[in-house]
Amino acid sequence: MASTAERVRQLVAENLEVDGQAVAVPADLGVSLTEVGVSSMEFVAFAKVIVAEFDVPLTPDDCAGFSTLKDLAAHIDAQAA
Amino acid sequence: MDASPVEDWWRPFKLVGAATVIHVDLKPDAAREAVALAWLDEPERSRWRRFQFAGPRRRFGLCRAALRAMLCRRHECGNGQLAFETARHGKPFATVDGMPVPDSFNVSHSGRHGLIAFAPAGRLGVDIEERVAHRNLDLLVETVLGEQEQALLARTRGDARTRLFFKLWTMKEALIKAHGKGMALDPSRLQIPSAMLGGTTRSTLQSPAIPGVRWRLDDLSNEQFAAAVAHEVCEASGPSRGNGKAPRTPANP
Repeated sequence: MASTAERVRQLVAENLEVDGQAVAVPADLGVSLTEVGVSSMEFVAFAKVIVAEFDVPLTPDDCAGFSTLKDLAAHIDAQAA
Repeated sequence: MDASPVEDWWRPFKLVGAATVIHVDLKPDAAREAVALAWLDEPERSRWRRFQFAGPRRRFGLCRAALRAMLCRRHECGNGQLAFETARHGKPFATVDGMPVPDSFNVSHSGRHGLIAFAPAGRLGVDIEERVAHRNLDLLVETVLGEQEQALLARTRGDARTRLFFKLWTMKEALIKAHGKGMALDPSRLQIPSAMLGGTTRSTLQSPAIPGVRWRLDDLSNEQFAAAVAHEVCEASGPSRGNGKAPRTPANP
């Protein structure tokens, strides 16, 4: 099964875009969605996608608050443990 | 910095009770963006540089510079005296020489349009959205809208459905931003007054989701975008108490 990091990268690719452009996520997930320019509407939808995929509690504010996607993946792993 | 021939990229848009709403033109313009960058302080420039895409970088820079210019005018201060801090749930507030300024403001941008709302008192929130297709629209509808609102949307088709969704979204987002606690407030519990669902552009409401507070809500949508402003109704900021004066701005930092 794919790692949490790989699944998060895939979900970003499938669900997020900025001005019609795909969001480039580095392999180490060292990017902040806020600094990418993801809108509040995108955060609301993406938080729901993460909850559905991993069955962990996550709010849009949680999602926007992580410094990087790596932190989001770590949060998911911690919740699932 | 020397005087610049670049004209202001913001204009008065609406007066809504005690609140003044400014429209910010966010179309690509290298000259404007260079002037805007000169207004930003170092932390803001650092944030500006970190944006991955040109669009969000431009929207942040042009809106923040416009906000700085207008706050300087309103508070008769220099740009170097002005700074921004962030409240617990991320809502920014301004300080002059380290002291919080008393008036409220809020900023929103989408695509080529930005709005900045100011009011002398009372919590304030503004939201603007260009009506672009969203791949997770059904998910957003389930998450954000209440049962009555979802039922209304289900009876609406085509372009009218898109317009209704964005109208509801911006009104709820404006209320959430005014409340100041982010998505800790469940948007599906914020029921938009039925009169506004039917086309009325102004209403006041109290929501069980935010006990004890009355809000004035204005739908500012036009053909180019959906937008709304929410303003806490209180003695100092009631709709009849504002000065209604659109701020003017100096041309340079």
